[in-house]
Amino acid sequence: MPERVTKNRRWRVRLREAQQGYVLVAPYLLHLSVFFGYPLLFAFVLMFHRWDIVTPMEFVGLKNFWRLMRDDLFFRALLNTGIFLTIHIPLQIVVALFFAELLNRPLKGRGFFRAAYFMPVVVSGVVITILFQQLFAFDTGLINRMLQALGGEPVPWLVSPALAMPSIAIMATWKNVGLYIVLFLAGLQHIPRHLYEAAELDGANAWQRWWHVTLPMLNPTMVTVVVLSTIGGFSLFIEPYILTGGGPLNATLSAVLYIYNQAFYFNHMGYAAALGFCFAIVIFLVVLLQRRFVETDTWS
Amino acid sequence: MGSRGLLGVLAGVLLLMGCHRPASMSIAESGKTRLVYWTAPNPDELALARELVAEWMAANPDVEVVVQPIPAGQSSEEVLLAAVAAGTTPDLCSNIWPGIVEDFVEAGALVPLDQFPDFDSLLDARIPETVRASFRSRDGHFYQLPWKTNPVMMFYNVQLLREAGLEQPPRTYGEYLEAARRIVADTDGDGLLDRWMGYRDIRPIWWQRYFDYYAFYIAASGGRTLFDRQGNLAIDTMASNRVFAFFARLYAMGAFPKAVWTSGGSRFIQEQLATDFTGPWHLIWLEKNAPPDLTYDVAPIPVPDDHEGPVYTYGDYKNIVIFSTTQHPEVAWRLARFLVSRKADRRLLERTRQIPVRRGLLDDPYFAPVFERYPILRHFAAQAAYTRSVDSVPDLKEILDALAQEFEAAAVYGVRSPAEATRRALRRIQMILDWNA
Repeated sequence: MPERVTKNRRWRVRLREAQQGYVLVAPYLLHLSVFFGYPLLFAFVLMFHRWDIVTPMEFVGLKNFWRLMRDDLFFRALLNTGIFLTIHIPLQIVVALFFAELLNRPLKGRGFFRAAYFMPVVVSGVVITILFQQLFAFDTGLINRMLQALGGEPVPWLVSPALAMPSIAIMATWKNVGLYIVLFLAGLQHIPRHLYEAAELDGANAWQRWWHVTLPMLNPTMVTVVVLSTIGGFSLFIEPYILTGGGPLNATLSAVLYIYNQAFYFNHMGYAAALGFCFAIVIFLVVLLQRRFVETDTWS
Repeated sequence: MGSRGLLGVLAGVLLLMGCHRPASMSIAESGKTRLVYWTAPNPDELALARELVAEWMAANPDVEVVVQPIPAGQSSEEVLLAAVAAGTTPDLCSNIWPGIVEDFVEAGALVPLDQFPDFDSLLDARIPETVRASFRSRDGHFYQLPWKTNPVMMFYNVQLLREAGLEQPPRTYGEYLEAARRIVADTDGDGLLDRWMGYRDIRPIWWQRYFDYYAFYIAASGGRTLFDRQGNLAIDTMASNRVFAFFARLYAMGAFPKAVWTSGGSRFIQEQLATDFTGPWHLIWLEKNAPPDLTYDVAPIPVPDDHEGPVYTYGDYKNIVIFSTTQHPEVAWRLARFLVSRKADRRLLERTRQIPVRRGLLDDPYFAPVFERYPILRHFAAQAAYTRSVDSVPDLKEILDALAQEFEAAAVYGVRSPAEATRRALRRIQMILDWNA
């Protein structure tokens, strides 16, 4: 009998604990279902429908995917996004690594510089884009004025189809590099000192220590940086939306901008959902490949 | 719609939902029927609407009409779309672009106007039988009452042309190019051109093409639009190629600057541009802003050298609709009828310099005093009979966007031949149509 009472009590305690747990996770679950679960489910339903917000939804089967396969502009937007990533990711890694190395040294005013490089990350993307719009302007931009003052020719940063996307990549790097500096800095500070001492004893010079010790030991950070900047790069939107509108000649039309245009400019909600779904698959595959090729077992 | 954007639509929907109040209601205390009438937000049209409505209310004391400008947004179409989605449309609106009517019809947002017994006679007074079909929706009903049309024409600087030895404005592509050769110049000798034949916004914004590609296409094709009466794609490829080629020449020779001017004021009144392609609404702006010594006039837009017959152009129609949220369609119809009366049309002409859609406008002695006072308006009134609107087809915006993309490639940047540009535009439009079939 006393054993049964104890069991009952334990059960009640567990139930109470479980209830408390459910109450504690409820806000997260609510947030997840309202802002992630429902939109995801709705987008899945939309993929097979035509809907322009004002007229009732119409089931169209796979028609949205059929259009997608024939849509040159979507493939152009994917290519543009690829070009952006190809410039942006290596540039970001090199610049971030360079500054992280510098800021990892006993430098005067190190705290100030660490904060200063991080500053653009917390400033609104729209503000930075407008700032660069002024800097990159062909006739009146500060950069071209400086070039002309130095006897050079003005550069069509945003009006040349060949230069517009690299210009956007430079701007995006400037904005985001602070975050990756912090990540690399954390990675650098976690490399055990004894590895450098051992390398030094073996006669390795500074470059060899960096190449054979620092770089391999930074691999986990590198994977994080590559994956984060890839996903961030795939979501390129604000910069071309404000700077170029996707032009000139669609050279800066990113995949997200194209999806946005289809959804909210042409009111093709169903088609935009289908584009979004395919784009998500592309991102998933790219990240998977990156993990496979970039990630190595650092500690083995 | 420049259109444009998520934030605009969402903000519009939220704003309209937040401010929701039934668009029409009876005021119990006064026993009056209440209507809400949305008009274009520009000050001249708003003042005109208030004036006309006050007059109408004096004759209809049982009705109270609230005149409101279309709420602020990226474009009227976007705001109206948000209102339709939120169910907060007014009783009637007089600033409806025909290109969006079909979307509203499909949404069940409009009242068919041909249910009213006097609709046919009213329509006959406004448009000829030949263009009647372009205002009929796909379900066979009429949901819009043609109100005004603003033909796109060529404004030209008389003095600049005269200095270049031209007493008459250029009528053909050849004459226009020749005029450009004489006029385009670096007047201050700094090595940069500062006087051009014309300017067009080079960004691939679909509605910007009304003032170049689309108007010129209608002119070059002798008055054809993009679709035939059955709604089949029927682009005159020859005309399209010629328009692309003409603008490509202009950009290649520097007659039009490859620039986006968003500041610096009007280059036309600064006499840096010899011509400007726009509609009669520009007149009132010029009257207020142009220096007194600027001499300008208006002529039809240039056509291919071998063109014969009248010169058609794009007419920027704005029509009146009654939204199905109204509780008083008959009363709203009475007001709509008044807004297209002779008296209201004359007032529109006088106050806004815009052209009412009305047959025999130039021959009617009632309107003669206005044309005597503003003789330049005669050009627009005469051109109004030779205008074409947009086709009543779904996804028109994306269709025009496809043409805008090709205009940028073939005309502005010259990276595609005119024939290739037309072919690519046709292919993309066909894809959009097949998808929407």
